[in-house]
Order: sequence, then structure tokens, then C-alpha cells
Amino acid sequence: MSTQTVRGAGLEQRSVNRDGFGPSGPSLRIRVRFHGRGGQGVKTAGRILGTGAFLSGYHCQDFPVYGAERRGAPVASFARIGNRPIDERGVISEPDLILVADATLLDDPAAGVLAGNEAASALFLNGNPDAPLPDLGNRLHLIRWDLTGAAIGRLGRAGALSAGLGAAAARFVGIVAEEQLVEAIRSEFTHLGLSTGEVDANVAFGLDVFRALPTVSFRDVAETEEGLGDSVVPMIPADPLAGGPNVISPGNATLRDTGAWRLERPVIDRDRCTRCGLCLIRCPDGAISWDEEGLPVIDEQHCKGCLICRQICPIHGIGLEEEARP
Amino acid sequence: MKVTREHYRSVKDLPSAEFVAPGSPLCAGCGGLTTLRLFHKVLGGKVVVVNAAGCMTLMATYPFTPLRSSWLYTTMASPSAGAQGLRDALDILIESGRLPADENLEVLVLAGDGSTIDMGLSSTSGAIHRGLNFWYLCYDNEAYGNTGFQASPASPLGSLTATSPLGTPWSKKDIFEIWRSHRPPYVATISPHDAVDLAEKIERARPLCGPKLFVSLATCPPGWGFEPAMGDELAKLAIETGIWPLKEATDGSIRHTFIPEHRRPVEAYLEPQRRYRHLFHPDRRDDVIAAIQAAVDRYWDAAIASERC
Ligand SMILES: Cc1ncc(C[n+]2csc(CCOP(=O)(O)OP(=O)(O)O)c2C)c(N)n1
Ligand code: SF4
Ligand code: SF4
Ligand code: SF4
Repeated sequence: MSTQTVRGAGLEQRSVNRDGFGPSGPSLRIRVRFHGRGGQGVKTAGRILGTGAFLSGYHCQDFPVYGAERRGAPVASFARIGNRPIDERGVISEPDLILVADATLLDDPAAGVLAGNEAASALFLNGNPDAPLPDLGNRLHLIRWDLTGAAIGRLGRAGALSAGLGAAAARFVGIVAEEQLVEAIRSEFTHLGLSTGEVDANVAFGLDVFRALPTVSFRDVAETEEGLGDSVVPMIPADPLAGGPNVISPGNATLRDTGAWRLERPVIDRDRCTRCGLCLIRCPDGAISWDEEGLPVIDEQHCKGCLICRQICPIHGIGLEEEARP
Repeated sequence: MKVTREHYRSVKDLPSAEFVAPGSPLCAGCGGLTTLRLFHKVLGGKVVVVNAAGCMTLMATYPFTPLRSSWLYTTMASPSAGAQGLRDALDILIESGRLPADENLEVLVLAGDGSTIDMGLSSTSGAIHRGLNFWYLCYDNEAYGNTGFQASPASPLGSLTATSPLGTPWSKKDIFEIWRSHRPPYVATISPHDAVDLAEKIERARPLCGPKLFVSLATCPPGWGFEPAMGDELAKLAIETGIWPLKEATDGSIRHTFIPEHRRPVEAYLEPQRRYRHLFHPDRRDDVIAAIQAAVDRYWDAAIASERC
């Protein structure tokens, strides 16, 4: 895959002396935050990292957070790894490492991908290394790599990235050895009820990523140590009035961009379409309507890319384009 | 076999207006959402949706709502009680002249199978008994979907859920028959796959005063474990294998609106779904598959016999 390149300032094929950070060495604590969309596997990626670190003899925590929303909506997960017991609790607002499974999340302020990035030593972005990027601030080491391409190569599909994302995190963090990573992936996927073949494919995917990426250097241990405090990160209670929809603005969900949930986009062949109307009826979201010429047109701002329309079109008149990801 | 259609010949005849806007945060490919959109399209926009806690309450997350109609959120156990309150309020306002009669609304309960078949059953039973004039739409995704796909009494025999990792040992509660035994004017099963059948049933129920109840098989990609694109195909297979009979009961007498004369084996429907994978891998569980097939065959033997006499 020619698109797979690794880039970014401050990367090095480093040398963490794992023994140096063993339980008796200087204090180590690395806080990792994953961002993705529901279904991409950031929760499992966090678990793979946590399990891998645990199997390598470290203390760890991992946990996800998601709102009331569904597949495709922004999701985050967290991992803390250290060589001393970790009493700190709560979401990680100042991560050392940020991994982003879906670069469209950079455009979604609610996802908060860059929150606290000033403290982070590195940011990993899944995507084409040559695509234009918004301003990310200049204190980050940026690693851009086509994880989705690697997933398609190994698993034949773009959807679930967890093994690769977990492996990338394990690699960057530098304290998980290959053997423990494999064990972690196996245990997490077996736990999810995947078949042996699928588990093996995910292990292979994880290893591809682990071997292709370098480790990163984190802020000085002394510096990290300053922020080691074992505290409970407070959760600020939300305004109860913010718990419900604005029912006096009926239909205002059209203001949302659920089109960013798509990985692949259906494309109607206007020359062959017979105007049977089935795609329009069967689209769960009602994202297809008739245009002035009496042909179906897809509302790209809202189509979630379920591809039911493509599957049911009686003349196979709906094609597929990979969504251009930044 | 298909029954004759009285109101709509094809999907082209369905009304064009939409009352569920795109942009909801429900899963890509949600069959429950397809059902709701079609149901609302045919029922019209003068509706107040009374929505029990479940996936569909997530349609409306602050500050957004895809509904172009009105909405009331209730607890899982009480959507039909909420419907009674709204119906009474509307009737009183209209009767006293405080609301013009042309601003009347249809009251539509929207609830998942957990609410419908489990926690909310008593309030609905009471509402049917009182002859409440309302519509009830249950989207049956065969589990407590919103909280992580735990088993509900609608989870079918042998299916994996978060709380039945070895497969459920029971058969689905038959909500159609439970409702029918209350003798409401109208009960029907519908499917997101067959929009014309769904629309016809709404039209047949429309003139009737009293409880009008519908239960739809809601294909659920994450819960059932299939690629979203397969959603409509699975809904179709459920009908073709005879697992999801399309029928209605008017004043208690049942008629099937589609009888699959040459039923496909149930495997065709089961095998593509991760929740049934343990029936095929690593070893085939012929005992469970045969039990599922036998239940379907028994159902249709009885149904066809009674419908022909
Ligand atoms: C009395 C009560 N118990 C538990 C819950 C938590 N809860 C919210 S939604 C839900 C699942 C609802 O399942 P179902 O009615 O089948 O609808 P679905 O989520 O599948 O759409 C549960 C258990 C609740 N809201 N109320
Ligand atoms: S892919 Fe799904 S959401 Fe998009 S237009 Fe087709 S049916 Fe609708
Ligand atoms: S299903 Fe296919 S043929 Fe029918 S209207 Fe849609 S694109 Fe055209
Ligand atoms: S979990 Fe299933 S029923 Fe709930 S929104 Fe997703 S697809 Fe629909």
C-alpha cells in the first residue's frame, strides 16, 4: 500500500528501556485518549492497549465514554498506564497521546478531539498523509498513517479498526512487547465472540500496524511526574434542561451532519435508474428524495451510508465510492 | 399469496410528505427507523408521538429532533397511560371549544419490544380494555436494544443477547395474540420491507375508533450482528421463511396479508446473523435449528388450515 507512510516531527525509532520503567524504576504514567465513531472499535482498542500493558507487568485502566447516540456518532475511550498503582479516576482531559480513528472528527467541535492537546506528546491521525489538515497547533508530534487502508488489506473491510488502533497505541507507548500485544488482541476478540479465523486476521492486522509504526518519545518523566497526582477528575453535571430535544423546532435534526458517519457513499446511476422509487422508500433516514427531473437524489449531508439503497436497487443502478477521508 | 390492495398499488402511490426528518442519531440501517418513517408518512403529520424510553427516544437528543410532529417522552412502563392523558386532554379541549376540531391530533404510542411486551404491557392492557382511541406502534428489535441488547421476552428461541450468551431457551411472547385476546378493533403485524402492506393496514385501521395496534419486525444491525446494507434483505427473509407472518385481526378475526406458499428454510434467515452464529459454528446445532423450523411449520400449518376453511 503506497499510501502508508509515517511522518511527523520528533519521531524516533526509540528505545524505551522497559526495564528502566519497571515497578522499581522512576514513576511512569501515560494517559491515552482514543477518538472514533461508534462501530470503529475505539473501546476495544483501549482494552487491547490496557490488556497488553497489564500483561507486560504494568498497572492500567481503560474505559470508554459514549452518549445516547449510536453507530457512527463520536465515541471516545481512555487508558492510563503506569508502573505504580493508579488512583486517578475520570475522563482524561490532558492526554499524553491522542489517537483519532476518523479524521472527520476534527471538524466536529462536540467531539473535542484536540481538547487538552497542548499537553500531549503525540497525535495519531488515521488517514491519507497528504490530505490537507486544519490547524492542529504546533506542539504536537503528528503521525499520519492510513490505518483504514491497512484494515482493508488484512480484513477486507474498512469498518472495525480496533486491533490496528490498539496495536498503534501499544507501539507508540513502547512498553508492550509484540508477544503481549498478540495475547491481548486474542483475548479481547475471543471475548467478543469472534471466530478463530477472524481473531487470526485481526492479530495479523495488529502486527502489520505494530511493525510499521515507530515508538514516540513522551515528555520527560520528571515532567509527567509533576502531573501524576492521583485525583478524581470531576464530572461537571449537565443542565437538566439540556437533557431533551428542542421540541418547538420540529425537524431541526436536519441541521446535523450525519453524512460524516459514512465510510462509503452510494452513487445513483442517473442514466439507468428506472425511477421505481424503492430506494426512496427503503432508506431508513429518508435521505433520498425526487429531484426536479423526477430522479432520486441522495442527501449527502445526512446519508449515513448504510447502503440499503444499493443492496435493494432492482437494476443494480447504485454504485459505491469510498468516502474521501481527510 | 397476496391479498388485494384497496388503497395503494405500489410504493409510487404512497404519500410523498415526510414527517421524520433525516439527521437523527439512530444507527445507520435501523429497521425501526424505516418503519417509523413509513408509518408516519402514511398516518400523516397531525400526530403526537408518545414515546417510551428506548432506542427511539434517542431520535430526539438535545437540542435536535427529527420529528416534524409533536412528541412526549414517557417511562418504559407507561406510554399507553401517557396516550390516555393526551387523548383525554385533546377531547376535552375540542369539546369545550378551546381547540378547533381541525387541530385534533392522532395519538401514537411508539415503543420497543421491551416496553411493549414486558414493562409497559399492563398500561396498554388497561388502555385497550378502556377502548382508548389511539395508535400503538411497537418496533420489535427482539431485545432491550438501547441499554446494550439484553434479552427481552421478545427475544426468539436460540438467539444470543448480552444476557443470553448461550442463546435464549424460550420462544417469543406472542404479543399479537395477547393484544388480540383483548378484542381491540384492529391489530396487525407489519414489516419495514413491505411499505405497501404497511400503508394498506393503516388505511384499513384509520376509520376504526379504539385501539389500533401494530407490531413491526425491526431489523437491528448492531444487535443482530449484520452489515447494515443487509437490513432489507433480512426483513424480506423473515417474511419468506415464515418467521415473521404478515397478518391483521379486525374485531378479533385473523387474516394473513401474505402467505408464503413455498417457505424458505429458516437457515436462510438465521445464518447471516451473528446472534445465531453459534447454531452453525463451530458445530451445527441441528436440534435448535429444527426446533425453530418446527415452530414455524406448526404456525403455518394451523394458519393455512384455518384460513382455508
Ligand atoms: C423502569 C426502567 N428500567 C430500565 C430503564 C432503562 N432503559 C432505558 S431504554 C431500555 C431498553 C428499552 O428496550 P425496548 O423497549 O425493547 O426498546 P429498544 O431499546 O430496543 O428500542 C432500558 C432498559 C428504564 N428507562 N426504565
Ligand atoms: S446509504 Fe442508507 S442512508 Fe444513505 S441514501 Fe442509501 S439507504 Fe439512505
Ligand atoms: S432503486 Fe434504483 S432504479 Fe429504483 S429509483 Fe432507486 S436508483 Fe432508481
Ligand atoms: S440499536 Fe438497533 S433498534 Fe436501536 S437504533 Fe440501532 S439499529 Fe435501531
